[in-house]
Amino acid sequence: MTPREAVAAIERGMSAYRARLASPTRTPRMAVVLGRLLGVAFLVCFGTGLYSHFLQDPLPWMVFPTRPTQLYQWTQGLHITAGILCFPLLLGKLHVVYPQLFQTPAVRSLPHLLERASIALLVASSLVQIVIGFINTVQWYQLFPFPFRQTHYALSFVVIGSLAVHIGVKLPVILRHWRSRPREETTASGATGRLHRWMDGSPTATRRAFLGTVAAGSAAVVLTTGGQSFAPLQPLNLFAPRDPRIGPQGLPINRTAEDAGVVQLARSAGWTLSIVDGDRRTVLDADALRDLEQVTVDLPIACVEGWSRMATWSGVRVRDLLDLVGAAPDVAVRAVSLETKGAYGVSEIGPEFVRDPLTLVALRLNGEVLDIDHGYPARIISPARPGVLQTKWLSRLEVIA
Amino acid sequence: MTAVRRWQLAFIAVGVLVIGLGGLVLLLDVNPARYLGIALWFAGALVLHDAVLAPIVLGVHLLLRRVGRRVPLSVVLILQAALVVAALVTALVLPEILKQGIGSANPTILPLDYAGNLIRFQAGLALVTAAAIAVVLARGRREHVERPRRDDPDGG
Repeated sequence: MTPREAVAAIERGMSAYRARLASPTRTPRMAVVLGRLLGVAFLVCFGTGLYSHFLQDPLPWMVFPTRPTQLYQWTQGLHITAGILCFPLLLGKLHVVYPQLFQTPAVRSLPHLLERASIALLVASSLVQIVIGFINTVQWYQLFPFPFRQTHYALSFVVIGSLAVHIGVKLPVILRHWRSRPREETTASGATGRLHRWMDGSPTATRRAFLGTVAAGSAAVVLTTGGQSFAPLQPLNLFAPRDPRIGPQGLPINRTAEDAGVVQLARSAGWTLSIVDGDRRTVLDADALRDLEQVTVDLPIACVEGWSRMATWSGVRVRDLLDLVGAAPDVAVRAVSLETKGAYGVSEIGPEFVRDPLTLVALRLNGEVLDIDHGYPARIISPARPGVLQTKWLSRLEVIA
Repeated sequence: MTAVRRWQLAFIAVGVLVIGLGGLVLLLDVNPARYLGIALWFAGALVLHDAVLAPIVLGVHLLLRRVGRRVPLSVVLILQAALVVAALVTALVLPEILKQGIGSANPTILPLDYAGNLIRFQAGLALVTAAAIAVVLARGRREHVERPRRDDPDGG
C-alpha cells in the first residue's frame, strides 16, 4: 500500500465513522445554543478568577471594593459553581461537534490547519482547566505534576484566547444560527436523512431530550455541590468537597495549627502582638488587647476553594491599633503570622481594608475564644477578601512604608 | 471588507494576543521543568475524550437504539438522559471517594459520606426515571386507545 492509498483508506474509515455519528442533535444550531451557555460560564469563571487572583496579588494601582461584605463569598462561590457547571455544558458541546473531528480531508489549507489547531487548544485547555480546578477543591494535588495556582492562571488566558479565536472563525455560523430557524431544523435529506429516520422517529423529540439531558446534568451537579458556597442549597449538599458547618466552632479550615507548626507559640503565655510603624512600636499582650474597645461584626470566611460561611467575630479594629502608633490614615499594612514556613504566613492589607471599620484583629468567633485552628490567639478578619489573606496566629502588624 | 469579516479578524487578533499572554504567564510563573507535565495533560485530555469517552457514548447510544426499536422512542430518550446524569455525577464524585480513602490534610476536607450519598443519589435517580417512563407509557397507551390512527409526523 502506498502512502497515498493509506491516507485514502484512513479517510474512508473516518468518513464511515463520521456517518455513524450523524444525529439530529449534532447541528450547528445546537452547537450555537450550547456554545453560548458555555461561553457565558467561561467568562464568569474568567472574571471571578481574575478578581480572586488580583485580590491576592494586586497590581500597585488596584483598589478593591469592601462592600458588600459578602462580595468575595459570592464571586468565588460563583467561580467554583460555574466551573462545576462547565462539566455538563462542555461535554454536551463536545458531543454536538464531535463528528467534525473526522472531517475529510483532514486538512484543506493552512488557515484550516490553524483553525483545527486552535480548536484542539481550546478543547484541551478547557478540559484540563476545569478538571484541575475541581481536583484542587478536593485537595488531590499529587494528581498533576505542575503547580495548581500558576498553571490555572496561565491556562485561563489560553482558554479565553482560544475561545475568542474560535468565535472569530465561526462567526458566520454563529450569526446564521443565533436564532432558531425551524425549517432548517428538520431532518436532513438523502442518506443522512435515512439514517436519522432509522435512529429516531422524531428529530425534534431527540433534540429536546438532548437539551433536557444537558439541563438535568447541569441541575444535578450544581444543586448537589452548590451548598458549600450558597447557604440556600445547603440541604441538597450531597457532593461538595466541604460542608460549611463542619469544622471547629462550626467553620471549616484549610490549615491547622499543627500543619503550620505554631501550636506551642500560639498557646504560649508570653504571646504578644507588635504594632510597628517605622521606629514607633507598641507591644500588646492578650490582656492589653482585651482591654481595648471590642467590636463585634458579622463577616463571612470565604475560601478560594469556593466554600464559605457567615460568622460573628469580636476583636479590636485594625485602624484603632494603628492609632496607637500614630500611623497615617491611608497606609497599607503587612500582617505577619507566627507561621513562618508557609506561603501565607504574611499578607498585605491594602489601605481600603485597613481603614475599614469592619477589619478586625479578631479574638473571638461565634461568642467563644478563637479555636487554635482558626488562629488563636488573634487573626485578621476583613470584609470581601479571600480566607487565605485573613492571616491566622497573628504576631505583628507592620505599616508598609 | 464586510463588517462580519472585520469582527472575525478582531476576535482572532484579540484571541491570539490573549493566548500569547497565557504563554507569557506560563513562561514567567511556571518552572520549565513542569511544561512536559502540562503538555501530557493536554494530550491526555484530548485522547481520553476523543478516543475513549466519545466512542463509548456512541456505542451505548447505538446499543440503546437497537434495543429501543421495540420500545417507544420517548422511553429510550428518558433512559439515555438518566444514564448520562448518572455517569456525570459518578465521574465528579469518584475523585472525592478515592481521595477520601487516601486521607485529607484535616477532617473538614471531604467530610461527607460521598459513597453513601452517591448510592442514595443513583437510587433516587432510578426512581424518578422509572416514574417518568411509567407516566410516558401510560400517556402513550391512553392516546393509542383514544386516537388509534393518529398520524404524528414527530413520532411522539
